[in-house]
Amino acid sequence: MIEINNLVKRYGNTRAVNGISFTVNDGEVLGFLGPNGAGKSTTMNIITGYLSSTSGSVLVDGHDILEDPVAAKKNIGYLPELPPLYFDMTVREYLNFVCDLKKVPSSERKAQINKILSMVHITDYADRLIGNLSKGYKQRVGMAQAMVGDPKILILDEPTVGLDPTQIQEIRKLIRALAQNHTIIFSSHILSEVQEVCDRVVIINNGKVAAVQPISDLSKKLSGYTRLLLSFSGPIKDVSNALRSIPGITSVTERVSNVDIHEVEISVDSSTDVRSSIFYTMVRGNWPILELRSLDPTLEELFLSITSGKQGGK
Amino acid sequence: MLAIFKREFSMYFKTASGYIAFAIFAFLSGYIFVSQYASGKVNIASEITNLRSFFVVLIPIVTMGLFSEDKKRGTEVLYYTTPTNIASVVIGKFLSAMALFGIMFINVLVQMFITVCSGGVIDAGTMGAIVVYFFLTALFVALGLFASAVTDSQIIAAIFSFLIILLIQLTSTISALISSTFNSFLSAKVFNIDPEKLSEFCSNVEKFINWFDPLSKTKDFRYGVFSISPLFYCACIAGLFLFLTYQVLEKKRWTQS
Repeated sequence: MIEINNLVKRYGNTRAVNGISFTVNDGEVLGFLGPNGAGKSTTMNIITGYLSSTSGSVLVDGHDILEDPVAAKKNIGYLPELPPLYFDMTVREYLNFVCDLKKVPSSERKAQINKILSMVHITDYADRLIGNLSKGYKQRVGMAQAMVGDPKILILDEPTVGLDPTQIQEIRKLIRALAQNHTIIFSSHILSEVQEVCDRVVIINNGKVAAVQPISDLSKKLSGYTRLLLSFSGPIKDVSNALRSIPGITSVTERVSNVDIHEVEISVDSSTDVRSSIFYTMVRGNWPILELRSLDPTLEELFLSITSGKQGGK
Repeated sequence: MLAIFKREFSMYFKTASGYIAFAIFAFLSGYIFVSQYASGKVNIASEITNLRSFFVVLIPIVTMGLFSEDKKRGTEVLYYTTPTNIASVVIGKFLSAMALFGIMFINVLVQMFITVCSGGVIDAGTMGAIVVYFFLTALFVALGLFASAVTDSQIIAAIFSFLIILLIQLTSTISALISSTFNSFLSAKVFNIDPEKLSEFCSNVEKFINWFDPLSKTKDFRYGVFSISPLFYCACIAGLFLFLTYQVLEKKRWTQS
């Protein structure tokens, strides 16, 4: 559905995107994962035709975005990081305007707008001014805008940023519903979000593809991670020393300390389960455990793991 | 194109800018007309020519937000990522501003009607002034549109178009000033230039600068003398600035981050 070949975007001497290549299959939800400034938005802007690449090509459903832009853009609905909304229009007026831009036939327009409004749950807000809506609703109007014209591909640039947890859940639910009959590229810098929504993930860093893998492989990689957070009451030095003596624990780092409550981060050597050993050690010292839980790996750690994996393979 | 036109035109009347421009125009044209009417000598051609001096304020009000606001809000993404041609966006916005000036001109049409009803005459000079008014409007709107496309600040766009329009309206004064400066500088004895040749040179400099002045090119229309070339000149300059606006927008794809 989308083929990206050796994409390069240069600003002066800086290369924001440096030779990115990947393909997106029909009906797939592709996660586009990377830290801020990795080149996610630039790549998405190039795919949608908002920016031109310095070199490389983007084929959307067989049409080159630069050589045959009209045919390529007909297949794409784009929600940029900042939704392109006119605050002085009502939701319905705005969607009608987008229908005009996307050349939706006037006979289909009303039905299509009503369908989209109900899909993103903003039917009750259709005649409100966009400027008066909350951030979450503005984001939904942005989603609605991308869905106008029933494009086969939806490109969503960090659609959940700045939303509250309930709104994030709703947007994810909507994406999952849309995934049934759309190809979706979805960018995020939150690992769990990508795991929840996507089939496959492209991880980029410093403008380059660090890895392309199915979400199941990513989950395996992540499950190999063992980092624990231990909160306890007791002398920090004694506890740290006792924990370090447990086989399998590689490091103990102090995170937060109050007068008698401390929090440490424990890194564990891959396959060993040290939780029961920690428990007994703490019981022997008579240091009450207030909390013990595993920590989600950060994106940086994932990158390290991917990079070190590659190095190990060599 | 029609979509852009409809949106921009309706926005003039959803925000204050359309009403402000209309109110200024209605006040000025009404003031000029009433004072002419009171003196018993109505001359619509002269009124329209006088009204053109206020383009320096009206054009920036009408055009300053056309592209700069889209850039600031991020709504320009819509033009680049939907199957819309950027040229049609430029023309749609241009036509919406022209339509607003057309609506404002209704004031003058009403005054023409009053003049005729009061036994006055609408002569060829008035028709000429109307034709020139719209050609000059097109030229200045295209300039304002260009100013709006090169910045994302409405204020800077307004100042930019204000200065260019002021410069054009003062072309004949500026050319005379440059010519007399040349004259007084080069007439110093050190240069030892023949005074006749010098004055010829200075007058040529003045003529050369004035050649670009759309206002002096079209000044005979109000006396009923029509010709195609001044109108063609205005249309070409308007076309040139529309093309430059299009180029600025296309170039953004390659340069912006």
